[in-house]
Amino acid sequence: MNKLSKGIGLLLATSVVLGACGNSNDNNAAPSSDSGSGAADENKVTLSAWAWNVNVGALNDAMELYKKDHPNVELKVEDMGRLDVYDKLSTGLAAGGQGLPDIVLVEDDRIQGYLDAFPKGFLNLSDKGFDGKDFPAFKQQLTSKDGSYYALPFDAGPTGLFYRRDIFDKAGVKAESIETWDDFIAAGKTIKEKTGAYLLPADKFKDDANFRMMLNELGVFYFDKDGNIDFNNPKAVQALDTLKKLGDADLVKDVNGWDGTVSATVDGSVATVPFGAWYYGTIIDQAKDTNGKWGVIQLPAFEKGGNRAANLGGSSWMIPSATKHPDEAFEFAKYFATTPEVQQMAMEKHGLFPSLLSTYSQPIFQSDVAFFGGQKIWKLFADEMKSIPTPYYTKDYAIAMDEAVKAQAHVFMGQSAKEALKSAADSLKSRTKRNVNNY
Amino acid sequence: MRTKSYIPYLFLTPAIVLFAIFMVYPILYSFLLSFQTSQGGEMTFAGLDNYRRLFSDDIFFTALKNTFVLLVVQVPIMLFGAIVLASMLNSIKRWKGLFRVSFFMPAVTSLVAYSIIFSIMLMEDGLINQFLGALGIKAIPWLSDPIWAKAALILAMTWRWTGYNMVIFLAAMQNIPESLYEAASLDGAGRFKQFFAVTIPQLKPVILFTAILSTIGTLQLFDEPYTLTKGGPSDATLTIGMYLYQTGFRYFDFGYASTLAYVIVVLIAVVSFIQFKWTEEKA
Repeated sequence: MNKLSKGIGLLLATSVVLGACGNSNDNNAAPSSDSGSGAADENKVTLSAWAWNVNVGALNDAMELYKKDHPNVELKVEDMGRLDVYDKLSTGLAAGGQGLPDIVLVEDDRIQGYLDAFPKGFLNLSDKGFDGKDFPAFKQQLTSKDGSYYALPFDAGPTGLFYRRDIFDKAGVKAESIETWDDFIAAGKTIKEKTGAYLLPADKFKDDANFRMMLNELGVFYFDKDGNIDFNNPKAVQALDTLKKLGDADLVKDVNGWDGTVSATVDGSVATVPFGAWYYGTIIDQAKDTNGKWGVIQLPAFEKGGNRAANLGGSSWMIPSATKHPDEAFEFAKYFATTPEVQQMAMEKHGLFPSLLSTYSQPIFQSDVAFFGGQKIWKLFADEMKSIPTPYYTKDYAIAMDEAVKAQAHVFMGQSAKEALKSAADSLKSRTKRNVNNY
Repeated sequence: MRTKSYIPYLFLTPAIVLFAIFMVYPILYSFLLSFQTSQGGEMTFAGLDNYRRLFSDDIFFTALKNTFVLLVVQVPIMLFGAIVLASMLNSIKRWKGLFRVSFFMPAVTSLVAYSIIFSIMLMEDGLINQFLGALGIKAIPWLSDPIWAKAALILAMTWRWTGYNMVIFLAAMQNIPESLYEAASLDGAGRFKQFFAVTIPQLKPVILFTAILSTIGTLQLFDEPYTLTKGGPSDATLTIGMYLYQTGFRYFDFGYASTLAYVIVVLIAVVSFIQFKWTEEKA
């Protein structure tokens, strides 16, 4: 009986919320659950926010600084799981803004999806006077739609190849000499032979993070800038084919989700982890015993001298239009996003790599990082930011990713990259009614 | 003593109001939703479009097929196992309580918690493969092969629900008169013969009841594939329940998700009806 109520229950829960909205469309003045409470004093404003993980700490610390000049503002951050934030946000938006916070953290790859599905759901920040010129081009694209900004850029994930110096040394491989993915595969074979360690982890059948990094590096993505399906692009085929080569050489350790990746990182069963700069925080936190044994290089290029810059992850702050305090929420979020001190604090204390360009002139970006054998890793990531191409996510990103993960699974099960991407493109076409680019 | 006739209704009201708000209203509303589609954030009436879309939706058919494969394989294995366990427990004299509790324990663990533990045990270098390796058996790709992934789901679900059904059968067995067994053994029927000729026929209504419950549960299956395999590899373990969730919460298509929910309702009604008819005829 327990299971009985579950499946449909999900949908029923949604409908209840949807229904609640139908009855109260016109009482805009009613206080929402969080933002109105504690407003005993006329001028006192309590903002509410939803965020996850280390972002919560960054937000709270920023508010401490902000309060020095704005003593009338309070902040209440609800710390929940990343996917819970999305589920609650989706239901709240579908219910016309019921129960939403004043500020919500959204990953960059989801922003366009939300804007398309709920065009009136979020505050137009350009109307409030925000422009994104202080941020890199790809971040501007991801946070705006039709020339207006809807999100305040926060962190970014310039990619790097995190590698274990001790394992590389033991195998006699020099990380600096790895320039292309072919070099990388050759190095991987030596490492596996000499040390028994896999080259890299991948959640082969459930996630395609490596594929997305490669696509971004090659300047392509699931979609082109016009929103056409771009799976058949020879560059996309090249990317997936490279993953296939890694798999065929038995260099990929199949891991189960995020936890699997972290445990492979910690136990030394993989020699490298290609990921966004934010993985630094996880490494220093989870793999304390490996202090000094890590290094970072940029991702290998697809051809000698080719682009090695890419981005994975990163998020931004959005303000639901149902907020009772649009001005206060905007002012605080803008302070958070555009104040170099705040961004530096978020990086130093919480490992969140800033996208605010003016932050990079701070001294920390020239510093040696002891955990990484004294390497200037922040300089490496900051330099990379300028050359990151823009990926085009569109509102159908989630469906496209579903197809990409399946294509990757097929390739690891033996299909050719070209065939797998061809059927992914066809399937995506019938699911989204978008055009497919043919080459 | 006379009470005013409306008094009982007053006491019933809270339950009825709650039922109306949290059950009747959502059921009706999602029915309406299933005829709507989102146009730029506004729900608009789309007639039978969502239902028509079902017939050209390959993923829906994959999910349907997966769900039925799990149903047809897992439910009989589990129910048979439950009956065997129950009749064994029914005949032992000592440690009855201990065994009963042990077998029932899985049913009280949270669905997500047990799925996560299974996913850890079934990893490529997880506990189960290490154990198999120690026996000299090659590691099994539990979560990465389309067929083994289904097997992994069946394994997990059977672990979780066998004890639950066992307890139901155990209760039913208390009501089988001892005289039937005495008569059977006088006629020379052994233990096995008794099990198939007395126990199973006597349990028939209960078997039907558990079969229907399990069928409904499997048709709505969500937690296990969501946690263990995310529906993969390549949709090999995608169930209708999971596809419903993805459609609504990942792709923001609440209209089509409601349609899928109603497909599940219709399927449950049809399958339960067939089960009733089938056992009626044979009785």
